[in-house]
Amino acid sequence: MHIPDGFLSNEVCLATAAAAVGAVGYSLHRIKGDLAERTIPLTGMMGSLIFAGQMINFPIGLPVSGHLMGGVLAGVILGPWAGCVALTMVLVAQWALFSDGGLTALGANILHMAVLGSIGGYAVMAAIRRRFKCRSRGTVIGSVIAAWLSVMAAAALFCVEFRLSHAAGEFRFQNIFTLMVAFHALIGIGEALITAVVVNVVLHHRPDLVFGLQSDAPPARSLPQFVGAGLIVALAVAAFASPFASEFSDGLEAVAEKESVAASEDGLPGVFADYDAIPLGNWQSLSVSAAGVVGVLSIFALSLLMTRGLSRQPATQLAGAAPRE
Amino acid sequence: MSDFWDRYGRSVSPCHRLPPLLKIGLALAVIIAGVAIPFENWPAFGVLGCFVFTGHSIAGIPLRYLLKRLFIFLPFIGTMAISLPLSQGFSHGWELMLTIVCRGTIAFLTSLWLINVMPFAQLLVTLRRLRVPAVFVAILAFMYRYVFVVWDELDRLRTARKARSMGHTSLLFRWKSLAAMLGTLLIRSLTRAERIHGAMLSRGWTGEVHWLDDE
Repeated sequence: MHIPDGFLSNEVCLATAAAAVGAVGYSLHRIKGDLAERTIPLTGMMGSLIFAGQMINFPIGLPVSGHLMGGVLAGVILGPWAGCVALTMVLVAQWALFSDGGLTALGANILHMAVLGSIGGYAVMAAIRRRFKCRSRGTVIGSVIAAWLSVMAAAALFCVEFRLSHAAGEFRFQNIFTLMVAFHALIGIGEALITAVVVNVVLHHRPDLVFGLQSDAPPARSLPQFVGAGLIVALAVAAFASPFASEFSDGLEAVAEKESVAASEDGLPGVFADYDAIPLGNWQSLSVSAAGVVGVLSIFALSLLMTRGLSRQPATQLAGAAPRE
Repeated sequence: MSDFWDRYGRSVSPCHRLPPLLKIGLALAVIIAGVAIPFENWPAFGVLGCFVFTGHSIAGIPLRYLLKRLFIFLPFIGTMAISLPLSQGFSHGWELMLTIVCRGTIAFLTSLWLINVMPFAQLLVTLRRLRVPAVFVAILAFMYRYVFVVWDELDRLRTARKARSMGHTSLLFRWKSLAAMLGTLLIRSLTRAERIHGAMLSRGWTGEVHWLDDE
C-alpha cells in the first residue's frame, strides 16, 4: 500500500511532507504533555508490534495475500496522538530497512496511514463509541467502520494527489478515481476484519490496554471537548467526501459548459483544465455509489457479527478490570 | 536477523565513508531529478540509472541482491501503474505509465543504495543532527531495538500454531487464528513495554532523553 517514489510530483511531495511534519509535530507535542515518561516505551513497542504485524500474511484464496495496515488499531489502543507517532515510526523504519515506500513520498504515506488512519480513525471510532451504552461493543463497531473509512479516505486522497501531480489531459480523473475507490473498498473490508478481531481479542483479555476504557465511569463531556470532537469528525468526513463532491462538481461543470458555450477554458488553472465538456457517463458515478453502498452495508453486517461474541460478556466484567499500573 | 535487514550497511567502501548528510543529499537529488525529468527526455533516465548503478558497484552491493529486490518491486509498481491505462480503457495513459515505472525504479534503486550505505544507527545520529526532536529519535531507536524481540515472539507464536493445526485448515479458521495471534502478540508486546517501563523507572528514568553527543 506504500506509495513509491515517482507517482507524485516534487511539489505535491513537498506539500504532503509539510502537512505530515505539522501533524506529527503536533502529535509529539500532545503526547509529551501527558505522562511523558511512559510514552517512549509504549509508543516504540506499538511501532515494533505493527511493524511485525504487517508481515503476517492473511490468505485470501488467491495467489496474493493481504496484511494489516494498523493505523486505526494503533489509534484505538494508544489514542490518536501516540497512534499517529507509532505509525510514523513504522513508515520511517520500513523505508530505512526495506526501502518500502519512497523517500520523497514518505510525507504522503505518513499523511495517509498515520494521520488519516490514526487521528481520523480514532475520531470516527470515538464518535461512534459515544452512541453506545456498552463501551466495548461501541469500540469494536467504531473501529470496524473507522478502519474501512480510513482505507477509503487514503485511496481518495491518493487520487487527488495523483491528479494534482500530473498535467491535465493525460488521463481522465473520474476513471482512475472509480477504479481506486472500488478496489480499496474491498481492501478496506480486509483491514476492518483484521482490526475488529484484534480489538476484540484485546478487549476480551486486557480491556485496560484500550485507550479511553481505563476509567469505568464515562468521562463527563464539557462543551469545548464536544465541539472539538465534532469538528474533527466533520473534518474527517469532509476529507473523505470531498472527492465525491468533486465528482459532482465535475458533472455540474460539464453541464454548465454545455449551457454556456462562451466559457473560456484557457482562464482555468491547471487543476480544472481537464474538466471539459465530455458528457459524463452515468455508470461511473453510479458504480462509485454502488461500491460505497455495498461497502457500508457489508461493514455494518461485519460489525454486527463481530459484536455478537462480545454480547455474551457482561459489561461489569469489563469495567471491573484492573487499571493499568 | 539484523544482517538480513541491512546486510551491507557495515561493509567498507568509499560510499560508506561519505558524510551521512551528503549521502542523504545525493539520494534526494537523484530522486527529485528523476521525478522532474519529462518523458520526452527519456535518455536522461538511462543516464541517471547508470549513475545509480555505478554508486551500487562502488558500494560493493552485489548484483544478485539488486535483482532479487527488483524482482519483488517491479511487479508491485507494475500493477500499480497498469491501473492507469486500465482505467482509461487502454486507449491512452501508456506514456505516463512508462514514465512512472522508470522514475519509480530509479528512485527505488537510489533508496536501496542509501539504506545499504547507511546503517540504521547512523540514520538515528543524523536525524539528531538535523534537529529532529529528541522524543521522536528516542521512540524510533526504541522501536528498532524491540522490532527483533517482537519478531522472535511472533516466530514462537507461529511455531506453536503450526504444531497445533498441522497445516491444512479452512480459510476462515486460518483468518481467525492469525488475527487471534496478532491480538496475543499485541497483548504480550504491551505487557513487555510495561515491564520495560518499570525497569527504566527503577534505573532513574524521568522522561528526559539524554544523548552522548548532546554537549
